[in-house]
Amino acid sequence: MIRFENVTMVYDQKSRLGSENARPGLDDVTIEIDRGDFAFLVGASGSGKSTFLRLILREIVATGGSVHVAGQNVARIPSWRVPKLRRGIGVVFQDFRLLPQKNVFENVAFAMQVVGESRSAIRDHVPEVLKLVGLEGKEKRQPDELSGGEQQRVAIARAIANKPQILLADEPTGNLDPATSVGIMNVLDRINQNGTTVIMATHDDGIVNSMRRRVVELSLGKIMRDESAGEYTSMIPVINQDGTRELRQADHSTWQKPSTGNQAFAPFDTEDDMP
Amino acid sequence: MKLGFILGEVGSGLRRNLSMVVSVVLVTFISLTFVGTAALMQMQITQMKGYWYDKVQVAIYLCGEHNEGTNCAEGAVTEGQRGEIESMLGSAAVKPYVENFEYESKEQALTHFREQFDNSSMSETVTADQLPESFRVSLVDPEKYQIIKELFSSMDGVDVVVDQRELLEKIFSIINIASFVAIGIAGVMILCAVLLVGTTIRLSAYLRRRETGIMRLVGASKSSLQLPFVLEGVISALIGALLASGVLWAAVRFLIDDKLALEYKDTAFISTGEVFMVAPWLILLGVVLAGVSSLVTLRRYLKV
Ligand SMILES: Nc1ncnc2c1ncn2[C@@H]1O[C@H](COP(=O)(O)OP(=O)(O)OP(=O)(O)O)[C@@H](O)[C@H]1O
Ligand SMILES: [Mg+2]
Repeated sequence: MIRFENVTMVYDQKSRLGSENARPGLDDVTIEIDRGDFAFLVGASGSGKSTFLRLILREIVATGGSVHVAGQNVARIPSWRVPKLRRGIGVVFQDFRLLPQKNVFENVAFAMQVVGESRSAIRDHVPEVLKLVGLEGKEKRQPDELSGGEQQRVAIARAIANKPQILLADEPTGNLDPATSVGIMNVLDRINQNGTTVIMATHDDGIVNSMRRRVVELSLGKIMRDESAGEYTSMIPVINQDGTRELRQADHSTWQKPSTGNQAFAPFDTEDDMP
Repeated sequence: MKLGFILGEVGSGLRRNLSMVVSVVLVTFISLTFVGTAALMQMQITQMKGYWYDKVQVAIYLCGEHNEGTNCAEGAVTEGQRGEIESMLGSAAVKPYVENFEYESKEQALTHFREQFDNSSMSETVTADQLPESFRVSLVDPEKYQIIKELFSSMDGVDVVVDQRELLEKIFSIINIASFVAIGIAGVMILCAVLLVGTTIRLSAYLRRRETGIMRLVGASKSSLQLPFVLEGVISALIGALLASGVLWAAVRFLIDDKLALEYKDTAFISTGEVFMVAPWLILLGVVLAGVSSLVTLRRYLKV
């Protein structure tokens, strides 16, 4: 369904030529995600998860290698055909991105109007989708009358309104509490069971660990790990006494109780600590 | 993409961006008014030329009953005097300068007058006696008008010799200057309008970036993304163009038809018919400029 072949994404090519410290957002990534898969993308902030998703959407075009979606090399799709590619892909974000002036029904209907669906198709299909995400009876609510979890359900409903084959989710539970997140994961799981390929970038270890799905870990733009039923992390960064940094296989005794000599920190705190 | 949906988007864009839309309307309105004014002035010149320019270069007006010209002391021109003038026009001294000439009686003058003002009420109030009889002389070289004037001005029965061409040229050059000024102002204003449409569309794209972002993600085609913005610019310009046409129509109707044409009865004026010829071009110009300007802006600020 989705295939990356030696994909490299250098954001600012000019500055890369000029200075050495610019590194690619993705670096020589090769991976295949099959139809019907459910894959988590994990990795520290800046490791290239969003870059991975944006390449699939062709929001950006790889500077090296090729990205294939449903058998097509997306770089070869002429720009006027890109909308057609995107109609086959649903996207959900951390910040929901609902239209505040439109109610729940209209927000979902918007996606169908944009691609030119008829009024009757919209009238029939939107309630079905809202039922799938568990929002029956809330069609008339405005986004600001919904909880964060409910807003994310609306966003998911909008993403799947045009029956995409692929659903990309970039930290969809990033703004939600654990209990609400579980609800969202159940919705995504249900969508996946209907045959949609789901790729979800996340920092939420609890979810990854409990779902036991495929886990792809990125680090500095490279694939570190690709497990079919993985956990959030198997490696933790460790800082040695002399200041050098390295990744080590997770050793619970080491990072739960830092021993003398090594100071380790939990991977979820790295955003602030890493330069 | 359904038309109703696009129009809904246009409507919400126009509402959210109202003050900018109003300024686009006003600027296109003013600039197109100047363009239209210039066009109408050129049509006025053509109108006047069409009637007079080739027909007559020099008019030798003959004395009427009540003329006060130095040669008119004996009242109206006599049969003999008229014959003398006519043979003078045919004489060897004058012939080389004259291409042709014809006599216009009072009745013919009236007929011409009526032809020229066939749609105005004043043509009925004028009688043949109020109009002078004349010889209408076309010159081989219009520049040699002075010779004819010298030869005929002193003849008995001649009231006055008028180089109508010179009179017309003077009027034309004034109108021409005015229309160039109008075109100059229009040019600057059109530049303003084009830039303002660009700014407005940019602002509008910014205000609606949420919607367009979502539209892009769910696979809106380029045209359905851009069309609402282009229509926003085009509709504003269209309103401006309609206002300009309306103002031009009112100006011609109330200033020319109802005033100037009555005051200067012997001049051919444009009428509201000409406004209806100019208006479609103004509308086209406004729409095309706004459309192009918004498309160019969108290429930079609304990527698909
Ligand atoms: N538009 C851009 N221009 C330049 N560099 C960018 C751009 N977007 C991302 N990058 C860089 O590419 C790298 C990968 O970024 P990316 O957004 O993919 O990370 P991420 O894994 O999604 O991080 P997070 O978990 O914080 O969302 C980072 O170093 C980032 O600075
Ligand atoms: Mg990201």
